[in-house]
Amino acid sequence: MTKITIDPITRIEGHLRIDVEVDGGKVQKAWASSTMWRGIERILLGRDPREAWLFTQRFCGVCTTVHALASVRAVEDALNLPIPKNAQYIRNLILIAHALHDHIVHFYQLSALDWVDVTQVLKADPKKASSIAESLSDWPNNSAKEMAAVKTRVKGLVDSGQLGPFAHGYWGHPAMKLPPEVNLIAVAHYLQALEYQRYANQVVAMLGGKTPHIQNVAVGGVSNAINIESEAALNVDRLYAMKSLFDKVVGFVQNVYVPDVCAVAGFYPDWFGYGSGVTNYLSVPDLPLDEKSTEFELPGGFIPHGDLSKLRPITGQKDEAWRKAVTEDSEHAWYKSGGALHPWKGETEPNFTDWQADGKYSWVKAPRYEGEPAQVGPLANVLVGYASGNPLMKKWTDAALAKISAIAGVTATPAMLHSTLGRHGARAVRTAVLSELATKHWQLLTDNVLKGDTAIFNPPTFPKGEIEGVGFHEAPRGTLSHWVVVDDGVIKNYQAVVPTTWNASPRDSKNTLGPYEASLLGTPIADAQHPLEVLRTIHSFDPCMACAVHMFDPAGNNVARVKVL
Amino acid sequence: MTTAIYGIGNILMGDDGAGPAVIRHLSAHYTLGDGAVLEDLGTPSLDLPSYLIGYDKVVFIDAVAADAPPGTIRVYSRDEITAVAPGIRISPHEPSINDALIILDFAGNAPRDVVLVGIVPETLDGGIALSQAVADAVPRAAEVVMRELQFLM
Repeated sequence: MTKITIDPITRIEGHLRIDVEVDGGKVQKAWASSTMWRGIERILLGRDPREAWLFTQRFCGVCTTVHALASVRAVEDALNLPIPKNAQYIRNLILIAHALHDHIVHFYQLSALDWVDVTQVLKADPKKASSIAESLSDWPNNSAKEMAAVKTRVKGLVDSGQLGPFAHGYWGHPAMKLPPEVNLIAVAHYLQALEYQRYANQVVAMLGGKTPHIQNVAVGGVSNAINIESEAALNVDRLYAMKSLFDKVVGFVQNVYVPDVCAVAGFYPDWFGYGSGVTNYLSVPDLPLDEKSTEFELPGGFIPHGDLSKLRPITGQKDEAWRKAVTEDSEHAWYKSGGALHPWKGETEPNFTDWQADGKYSWVKAPRYEGEPAQVGPLANVLVGYASGNPLMKKWTDAALAKISAIAGVTATPAMLHSTLGRHGARAVRTAVLSELATKHWQLLTDNVLKGDTAIFNPPTFPKGEIEGVGFHEAPRGTLSHWVVVDDGVIKNYQAVVPTTWNASPRDSKNTLGPYEASLLGTPIADAQHPLEVLRTIHSFDPCMACAVHMFDPAGNNVARVKVL
Repeated sequence: MTTAIYGIGNILMGDDGAGPAVIRHLSAHYTLGDGAVLEDLGTPSLDLPSYLIGYDKVVFIDAVAADAPPGTIRVYSRDEITAVAPGIRISPHEPSINDALIILDFAGNAPRDVVLVGIVPETLDGGIALSQAVADAVPRAAEVVMRELQFLM
């Protein structure tokens, strides 16, 4: 039996730690833990609920906008405060643009290198790479000349003796399977992704005032002045500038990202067989279409045990079943409370012990939906959309499965999505769906503005006494919910149940494993010193863990440590 | 010449907010030349390359792990920053300033002149206040930033 610990070491405590026990070449036991206490919700106690979003968007440096929006939605929910249509559309466009940016970055800059062997690029024939890429889509930047230039760039890097941004990859690992030309295509698109994700971020800056840390939201709406004839306001010029940025990103998503994910999946069909884990899926409805947030562009719901026919829809933030279903269990987490508590009653009092395999071992609490662990993220979002019959989700899922089937020479079915590759495939599907919705919601906003509606804000008023609210958002990493209790206009309790908490959940009082932990069981490990297979599955969830601190370490200690016992 | 001055760190985590605090100080007490961007970037990690493309000169202000008393200011050159090799990443939060520069060096569009003004923290526990040692270092760090800018111009 071999025990592997993957633990990014920093001088400060932090980050996500994964421990696995390997026997017979496969993972037999797994633990996911966070080594840093967050507890930053406590900063919000006693504050004005109208300014909570300014703090919450600092929870995470990568997902700033999502925490801003979940926060204002929570306070609006507590007040039963509708917001004007323009405010919904502007928020929706920010959420869409952020997600497009985030998903592109996740695939190319974080996880593609789990599947792509950069050193193999030197063996690639640029002409052949170009013809493969051109068979996958009609993207104009796939010429043999482009591929040759990228190959030269990689050769320069390898010749320098340093692999630059790829130095941390597991090159030549036996689990790497792509042909040299596909590796070359992937590196070419890695470089193009750096450019295209910026356009999406520019949309967020245009509407949000700046990025990171948008300035334009408020409890009750947004602060974007709308005046089609004013230079200083959201006018027709700006709307069309935004449209042209969106168009570029839409092109990249549909002609590069989606085909690339299908191609990688097609060369690794085994990975549809690993990484399933918890098959209860939770996704919340998002992109509200009406002032009261009762109609949504994308549906939400809970799928128990991977059975799409048993979907339990979530109709909105006011859905009573949803409001009661969420709890957080601290039996195996370093908090005093122990058992399961509803977020409105949630406690954040630390109780640190050492890392104990059978006791407490994480700062992450164990969120549960009706007492069960749930996987969140694009796969949950797509499966709930597919099960609900959402036409866009169905269209893009079926298209991706057909493309993977053609490349792999097998018949890919929706059942295969319960896997490591399924999460990557679903993220690409969701991104494609959102790319279409970018255009749609841009049109909704433009039409409404041109009709003469300039309303952006309904002022909030706080009653005497205690009120409770929940704001949710289907964020890039999955279901995010902020739970707030306000007493006499002041925050009395605040809990953020974030996507990575659902997925990186430790065991609960019943010793049921969280999604990361369960997903690793049975994973083959070719080389314990280089546990690439563990990283593949963990990366497929898109973890967002060490949200709180940034510190540069000039001694270079901010690298992950792999310890094998 | 396009110049950006970026504070890095989380204002909710004690002295990790040193970088953003220096940005606030610079914004209140100094007038910068045209075209210079002054921004609190929070903890951008994997998003950081986006904010560097298109700039010739970048000054970072960040908390640094150095073996020195809290409030000590240390300046690091571009070579010293990129000498730190990227590690295995588990989440999008791990990439740091070095990763961003190394990625853009490969892509061929990294800023040419880069300097990091580092402040040694005392505490990184949750809370929106800086320790006294780091609060005292903020105006001195701002002066160092202005001096480095002159060297870069």
